[in-house]
Amino acid sequence: MKDVETRPRRYSRVIILTILLASLPLIVGFSLLVISSFSTEMVTNLNPSSFHLTLENWISVFHGKLATTGGIRAPILRITLNTLIVALGVAGVVTAVSALAGYSLSRVNFRGRKHMMILLLVLHAFPGVALIVGVYLLYRLTFPQSMDIVRLYSFMYVIFARAALEIPMSVWLMKGFFDTIPWEFEWSGIIDGASRITVWRKIMLPLIKPGILAVALFAFLAGWQDIIYVRTFLIDQTLATFIEANIEAEFSHMPMIAAAGTLYLLPTIIFFITAQQLLLQGYSGGIKG
Amino acid sequence: MRARVIWLVALVLLGVVASGCISGGGGTQTSSAKIQLTGDFTKDAVAVGKALQQNGISEVRFSAWGSGDPNSVMRVYGIVEAARRINRIWEKNGIKVKITITDTHYVASFQDAYKEYLSKQPLGQAGDFFVNSYAFLPTLADEGYILDITDYAKAYKSVIDDFYPSLIEASKFKGRLYGLPQDTEARPLYIRKDVAARIGLNLNGLDGKVKNGEFTWSDVYMWAKKAKESGVEWGLIHRKGSAHPDLIQFIFAFGGKLYDPNTGKLVVDVPAVYKWLYVEWKFARDGLLPKDIMSWDWAKQIHPTVVEGKTLFDIGGTWYWTEWQTKQYYNGRSLTPEEVRKWFYYTLFPAGEKGDKPVTLSQPFIWMINSKAGQQNPKYDELKDVYHELAFLMVVKASDPDINAIHSVISAHLPVRKAAAKLIKDEKWLNDLKNLNLDLDPAVKDNIKDIVKATVNPINAEFLANVSYMLEYTHLAPAHPKYPALADIFKEAVDRVLRGEMTPKDAVNFIIQKVKADSELAQNVEIVGKIPENWKFPQ
Repeated sequence: MKDVETRPRRYSRVIILTILLASLPLIVGFSLLVISSFSTEMVTNLNPSSFHLTLENWISVFHGKLATTGGIRAPILRITLNTLIVALGVAGVVTAVSALAGYSLSRVNFRGRKHMMILLLVLHAFPGVALIVGVYLLYRLTFPQSMDIVRLYSFMYVIFARAALEIPMSVWLMKGFFDTIPWEFEWSGIIDGASRITVWRKIMLPLIKPGILAVALFAFLAGWQDIIYVRTFLIDQTLATFIEANIEAEFSHMPMIAAAGTLYLLPTIIFFITAQQLLLQGYSGGIKG
Repeated sequence: MRARVIWLVALVLLGVVASGCISGGGGTQTSSAKIQLTGDFTKDAVAVGKALQQNGISEVRFSAWGSGDPNSVMRVYGIVEAARRINRIWEKNGIKVKITITDTHYVASFQDAYKEYLSKQPLGQAGDFFVNSYAFLPTLADEGYILDITDYAKAYKSVIDDFYPSLIEASKFKGRLYGLPQDTEARPLYIRKDVAARIGLNLNGLDGKVKNGEFTWSDVYMWAKKAKESGVEWGLIHRKGSAHPDLIQFIFAFGGKLYDPNTGKLVVDVPAVYKWLYVEWKFARDGLLPKDIMSWDWAKQIHPTVVEGKTLFDIGGTWYWTEWQTKQYYNGRSLTPEEVRKWFYYTLFPAGEKGDKPVTLSQPFIWMINSKAGQQNPKYDELKDVYHELAFLMVVKASDPDINAIHSVISAHLPVRKAAAKLIKDEKWLNDLKNLNLDLDPAVKDNIKDIVKATVNPINAEFLANVSYMLEYTHLAPAHPKYPALADIFKEAVDRVLRGEMTPKDAVNFIIQKVKADSELAQNVEIVGKIPENWKFPQ
């Protein structure tokens, strides 16, 4: 296999075309979703005559309504905020825990380290759905007596439960990033009299910014997209459960669902585009001294 | 190592024991306050209000969960309106307590709403009021998830007696009342008047002939064939899926049954099921019914085919009448009430063959009260009975004839109370509704104004009045926990027969095999009768 720099240019077109073809179903699917959100009827039949421009779908979505006539007006801002709280909460917990755990596994040789690393991999193998019965049981066991804090508790529980699913893989990811940093950086700090935690905070974390961002981004997406845990435990609605509640093959006005779906996708796309450069740095793994 | 294992086992056992104890929490609490309901609504509401006020309660918070099509939002707004009416009674009587509806949760799919209620009720996170199909009532009642209102209802006999008796029966489980009917519907056979005129089908008095059993499914077949021969695309369009029990009307129309009340088991009535599948098979083989209809799209295929006049017959529901007026199924627009009246005739679902009776099918929705209703309010343990009585009074109020009539008119469901049925025939009241000149909560008015504008007119009210008689012929799908599984098997068999993958005989055997293969289903289903080998269709 040749390096990228030495590969003949004539192959690059073939590669780009192959990648484009492989991505085509996704690109077409998302494009049709966005186009349908501005149309009076769905254009998923790939027939341009189905497209009739309208902003009604978006206006209705911003009014919290997903029906042409009737339906219930939902507090869409509140629902979006709920989604954001869950996503940011999951991202925060996962990033904090995995940055600490990843550093420990990378740098500290404690007893049971290898077993813990294997255990983390095993834990990652369990899908969230398979664990839901146990997580539900724990929820019932820890359910607060006072109804006043139930709403807050349901948010916290969803955030921690969803974060727990993401942490094993994120810890491994973080460990990988810490592994790429030469020991010399850390030693110089320790020689200067800094504690281990100061070294972690002031020297190591700035060096693995792309890693932190990657972990935070994936955790954010996991929280933003989650539906099973949110539906089971959260009292309030998120965008995922709001859209789900309005989908029924017989009654739903699908272009409005498409508008809600596009709104649901927007933050993910924005987050990804803005963080792209930093993520690429992370994947290339270079250290700039 | 051994000690660790013992600790681990002990921990697991503790978890299991603890989990068993969870639902028992609060079971021993006794309530100190209880009001004796008298049947005089104002008096009872005042007594409940005073009891709450004396206990320092100034606000009672409830939530309402509903589900269904977007026009049926009165399933939750009815509760909002009931709260306002009780608040007004309290205000007039100087009671400083207020009911606030904190959440109006509305889900399009009633099955999804039921699943959500099932998972959230044990945690106390489900709605205090839950409107859903009667089919789920037995399971919810059996689990203790909904309130037994039998004793409360005794004081309100006059209100209960105003409901249609069959619907009150649908609200019971083991003889106890667990809710009040909210709405119901019928499933007429729609006939395109323009297509009928073109092929010489005289519709004058046809509903009478259907009622007498003179016009049967053999006649439907004959006219569907004529329509097809005259150039109409299809002879018959029907609904799809198993969630709505439309197609099982065939079983009743052929004199069969689906449930045996003596054994409490579901029934696969082989002769009736065979005849049903044979009719489907024959229609599809002769090109009168699309063979892939079970996978047709509602908005792009089923409804447009009907409203654009590409079929003579359509097996639908009463709610189609306003759905066609609010959804853009006709060349990118909706139909006007005048067009719906001009183009569509409706009758009962005809008898299968001479000697059988015409039928229709209903799936009443029921107001149910969460057995933990009021839990989010202060002093719940002390005042549990008072909160429950208040919840019952709210459901009684939400069943007021005008609230029920508004729901019926805007969603084209049938009224569940005789007083509501009377109201929808009242022109003055209809006019007031059209202008929203009714005593309703401003938020409710604001939320239903677009539906009112699109649906309230004398044509729709006349339709509802005209189809009300169908309730006399109605059958209910069995409210049996295993019925959905059986309905899925029926759906698969119909699909295979329509596509020509199975003959009706093979399909019946397929149903029997599928039932026997599922041990739980096999225990709950009786298979009766034999395939009538020499049966002919059309006759």
